[in-house]
Amino acid sequence: MNGSSEHDEALLDSVAAYALGTLSEAEARDVAAHVATCAECTREYHDLRGAADLVGYAAETPEYAPNELQSARMKSAIMRHVRAAADVPPVTVPAPGSTPAPPPASPGAPVATLPVRSRAPWLAYLAAAACLAVAFLSTFQLSNVRAQHEQDVQQLTLLRAQVDQQEVAANEARGHLALTQSIVADLLAPGAQRFPVPRGLVARSNGRIVIALQHLPALPKGKVYQAWTLRRGAKAVAPSITFTPDTSGLLIVELPGSATDIAAVALSVEPTGGSKAPTTTPAFVRPLS
Amino acid sequence: MARVRDRDPAAFESLYDGFHRLVYGIAQRMLDDSMAAEDLTQAVFLKLWADPDAFHGGNFGAWIARVARNRALDVIRARSVRPEGEFPIDLGSDDDLDETVLAKIEGERVRAALRALPDEQRAPIELGFFGGITHEEIARRTGTPLGTVKTRIRSGLRKLREALEASAA
Repeated sequence: MNGSSEHDEALLDSVAAYALGTLSEAEARDVAAHVATCAECTREYHDLRGAADLVGYAAETPEYAPNELQSARMKSAIMRHVRAAADVPPVTVPAPGSTPAPPPASPGAPVATLPVRSRAPWLAYLAAAACLAVAFLSTFQLSNVRAQHEQDVQQLTLLRAQVDQQEVAANEARGHLALTQSIVADLLAPGAQRFPVPRGLVARSNGRIVIALQHLPALPKGKVYQAWTLRRGAKAVAPSITFTPDTSGLLIVELPGSATDIAAVALSVEPTGGSKAPTTTPAFVRPLS
Repeated sequence: MARVRDRDPAAFESLYDGFHRLVYGIAQRMLDDSMAAEDLTQAVFLKLWADPDAFHGGNFGAWIARVARNRALDVIRARSVRPEGEFPIDLGSDDDLDETVLAKIEGERVRAALRALPDEQRAPIELGFFGGITHEEIARRTGTPLGTVKTRIRSGLRKLREALEASAA
């Protein structure tokens, strides 16, 4: 390929055939060796090779296009592999001394492959079975969606019930707070009678008796505090309410019933549920006079 | 492609959506076997996912079209009773094409430019690209002198490039 005829038209024609890939292997080897040493043929090759590769677009037409089923099948298989391997680093196989040529068409080139499908005649039956499977799966998925919907409805009902319970509890808490505020208001009322007792006081105000204590010792399990009242003229105390202080040891309670004829108030520790008569020595007995 | 190199499946999916018809079309046209075309399409894209650095830039469509053609030639060679080596080899170490001019060319423009070629030029070009045959066989099939086939291929490719450059400008 060397000599005065290097750049004649016939040689450049061979370079074009080489760029398109229509030379035999022996001719291609000769032309490649020449192109590697000839600037003009290198330019010609580069100019025409880019155009030659684009010729492939002529096949991107409806005549040669995959149908929807094929497209979906290929994409599903490829993307399943891709997503499964997404965390695996890419495999690069640098060829020593090679330059960015498109991967050569060597039969032994390592290429990841998906399982090759059989081309047996029963493929049509397999396709039909696949369609049935798809239909079955669609029905199955629909059933799953419905079951999920029912579960969601049940869950929503349960959440609504919980919200209702919380609203009831909140209302009770608000009522208790209002009652406590009312008791405190009685304790602070200008006309209230206040009778000091250990750890607090007993007050009588607006016809009610209130016990307000602090730093009350916590009681063992099965024990409660119980109030006692002594009415005028009575020879024995009567049982009143039982209660336990909060975690801070604070206690503010109103004794039930009218306070007008109460002559004294007492407090003792009793079993849970209360007693009919004091079973322990009272913490205090306070005459209201 | 940068995102594909970063192992981004979504980017790869976009690439597949954009170019699988080109790859499949080349395979189907060359092999005339839809199942083989599917297998080839999957193999080409799986190879791209496994080794995204094989693409060095330029027109991705042109690159992957060449990859698809080469693999289809492998299949044809495996099928053929003809001796190995009858088909062309690729250029070796100096195949680093700087195709920035054609990098943005889209398929429809290429097809339009190909349609605009005279039949006598387009036919041997498409036959050579998709047929997987040598220019000698093209000459025999078309009853055209060998030298004329080469000249028409060169003239057609030159005209195709000029048309694409003009449309890209």
